[in-house]
Amino acid sequence: MSGLFAGTTILELGGGAAGPLATRYFADLGATVIRVESRQRPDFLRTLKMTPGTRGGLDGSEHFAVLNAGKLSLALNLSHPEGVAVARRLALRVDAVAENFAPGAMAKWGLDYASLVRQRPDLVMISTCLNGQTGPHRFYPGFGGQGSALAGFNHVTGWPDREPVGPYGTITDSLAPRFAALLLAAALFHRRRTGQGQHIDLAQVEAGIVCLSEFVATYTATGEILGRVGNRSRHAAPHGVFRCADEDGRERWVAIAVHDDADWARLVSVLGSPAWATDPTLATAAGRLARVAEVEAGLEAWTRPRRALEVARLLQDAHVDAAPVWDLRDTHDDPQLRHRRHFREVLHPVLGRHPAETNALRFSAMAPEIRAAAPCLGADTDRVLRELLGMPDAEIARLRDTGVLA
Amino acid sequence: MRGTLDGIRVLDLTAEPGFLAGKLLAEMGADVVKVEPPGGDPARRRPPFWGGVEDPERAILWLALNTSKRSLTLALDHPRGRALFLDLVARADVVLETAPPGTLDWAALHARNRRLVLCSITPFGQTGPYAGWRGSDLTVTAMSGNLWCTGDPDRPPVRCSLPVAYYHGSIEAAAGVVFALLARETTGEGQHVDVALHEAMLMPNIGTAAMAVMTGNRGARSGAMMRQGRSVQREIWPCKDGFVSFALRGGPARIPGLVAMVRYMDEHGMASERLKAMDWTRYNHNLLSQEEVDALSAEFGAFFRTKTMAELYAAACERNLMLAPINTPREMLASAQLADRGFFVDLEHPGRGRLTLPGAFARTTPASVAVRGPAPRLGEHTAAVLGEIGVDAAALARLRAEGVV
Repeated sequence: MSGLFAGTTILELGGGAAGPLATRYFADLGATVIRVESRQRPDFLRTLKMTPGTRGGLDGSEHFAVLNAGKLSLALNLSHPEGVAVARRLALRVDAVAENFAPGAMAKWGLDYASLVRQRPDLVMISTCLNGQTGPHRFYPGFGGQGSALAGFNHVTGWPDREPVGPYGTITDSLAPRFAALLLAAALFHRRRTGQGQHIDLAQVEAGIVCLSEFVATYTATGEILGRVGNRSRHAAPHGVFRCADEDGRERWVAIAVHDDADWARLVSVLGSPAWATDPTLATAAGRLARVAEVEAGLEAWTRPRRALEVARLLQDAHVDAAPVWDLRDTHDDPQLRHRRHFREVLHPVLGRHPAETNALRFSAMAPEIRAAAPCLGADTDRVLRELLGMPDAEIARLRDTGVLA
Repeated sequence: MRGTLDGIRVLDLTAEPGFLAGKLLAEMGADVVKVEPPGGDPARRRPPFWGGVEDPERAILWLALNTSKRSLTLALDHPRGRALFLDLVARADVVLETAPPGTLDWAALHARNRRLVLCSITPFGQTGPYAGWRGSDLTVTAMSGNLWCTGDPDRPPVRCSLPVAYYHGSIEAAAGVVFALLARETTGEGQHVDVALHEAMLMPNIGTAAMAVMTGNRGARSGAMMRQGRSVQREIWPCKDGFVSFALRGGPARIPGLVAMVRYMDEHGMASERLKAMDWTRYNHNLLSQEEVDALSAEFGAFFRTKTMAELYAAACERNLMLAPINTPREMLASAQLADRGFFVDLEHPGRGRLTLPGAFARTTPASVAVRGPAPRLGEHTAAVLGEIGVDAAALARLRAEGVV
């Protein structure tokens, strides 16, 4: 099948990463995703790095562009009652509504599930925010950096002798879209089988904590709060990141993960069985863990003059788990990501040709595709109003003149 | 309604990287049967153990990520075990697995059941130059760009001490399964879903890998700081009893929080005249020099050091400050918000007592997501599951004697 969601329309309200990345799954499988946006209060990714000199203004954000490829943009001023009325007509008309405003915003406009479901009993709608739609802290206004902290990820990232750091990229912003895609797809599946709709309240902090169930269960079962262990494993050694030869004047590293004693034996033979490594007390995980710093130093002495990719290849040829540490630019030259066509080029009206990214799913009988660049703000306003609502051109012109489509 | 995946039968053959996928499907209503070797899943042998007793029913990793599933023991390397597995496949909707590519034969499974969805979670995917490579959380993250950017500038790249690649990949897999089930509604055919953990770790870069060729920014580690505009700004700040996350950045969404933070500091006599005189409504971090950022940071940092995580978060919730504590499970279990939502569940584990675990990963109306039971004991449902394909008590006794179950 060419596009699983061909003919499916999703209305998206909100911005940033957590909401917009979720609907990308559907867009890449053929859905029409309409972002409701406004110049009065633009998506913060459109303004995050904006200075007075930014080319293209609100349409010149690379960040917005790479996260919103393949969507349509409808400019709608929700401070205007007629703007809210248009949003409401669209919400009742589409197959699903996805929003990630702070709780209360949708209700203020009468666009919340309780208001919409009265006129659309089989409505499928997802609302996602940090703390959820209910509870004393529902209005708490954090971004992904705060979500990551509240869900516990920062505490367990970094070095034991240093302050915590975040896993790069404010992790709840990338976990939440996956949960949202799963929940929204399941709600559509359920509606297809039963005719029933659903409202989904995805609290990004809660979903993050579910991922960290091992962290929570360790505490509730034993009282221990797991801490930061750098790259080490509590169960196996060596397990770390080792310096390699610099390339093009830049530091290079290789990640090596020895999972059991058989892995260690193969690693030692790749090293050429040096005396330090053939010490029989290092033949067991317990022995290596007891002298882990020494083992790591011995290994790094071997990796240091070598190129990272060469080390990884030597070890992988011996069936040892190892990989070069790529920087962000290196990922474009990764042959596996190329094979999977992770990056796909699109043509953006302001930014020109640039890569966008698809997800990690490949199917034997359908293929994700990125069909277009991200939209300029309001680029599809007329088309959406005409095609979805059958709005006459004169009415569109009147709304534009009264500032509703801004 | 029990769940949106009511009536969907899943055979879960996964090792640790896929545990969460089956858990999520089970908590949406699917019947997820964990297929374990007769000796039990290797995760049952991994410490730490609940109560300190080395017991396959007390391994914390197992208990945490296999809730709501049933357990069947089956020796897949035994011809009878293999035959029974294919009988189960004939009536299953989904098989989840994490074996190296080529271990399971998709064509053979598909021939047995045209409606089957096979979801394979592997480090690099089913095909391609690295498909045969070994990989795990550390190494797939290494090749995603995400590791490069995590950690302190003067140390090697560092991973999260818990395997986030497995969580990302598992949620991706569960979504892929549902996409394939939806497609089956139209085509009548199942398909093979190929999830690569490596590729799943690109999304956590939030678009910055794609942007690297546009901006030239290859990424850098900045520790507890964040690099934006012309300066680095502190993101994680020490406070009286721990750390908090707070961003000294502008933009329409953040500025009200900055204004409120300065007012809060002023109430404690800790906002300088300079801070109070600033026009925060025009604050744009992109335009500041490092010296200006450092001067501001010194004031905010000094204030945070006088307050605990709980005090600062209580103020954040009351005053809409964009500040959050660096939580551990201790703070999560004390959270008024999570308590109000009834998030944590206290699950009875027969013979072992009650254990508190995270609850439903979402709330829906009508309700459809729930932790439906504790992780199963080894082979707890063997008789029931095999009974569903006509294996009676006598046949089961023979299978046990032969070491098949």
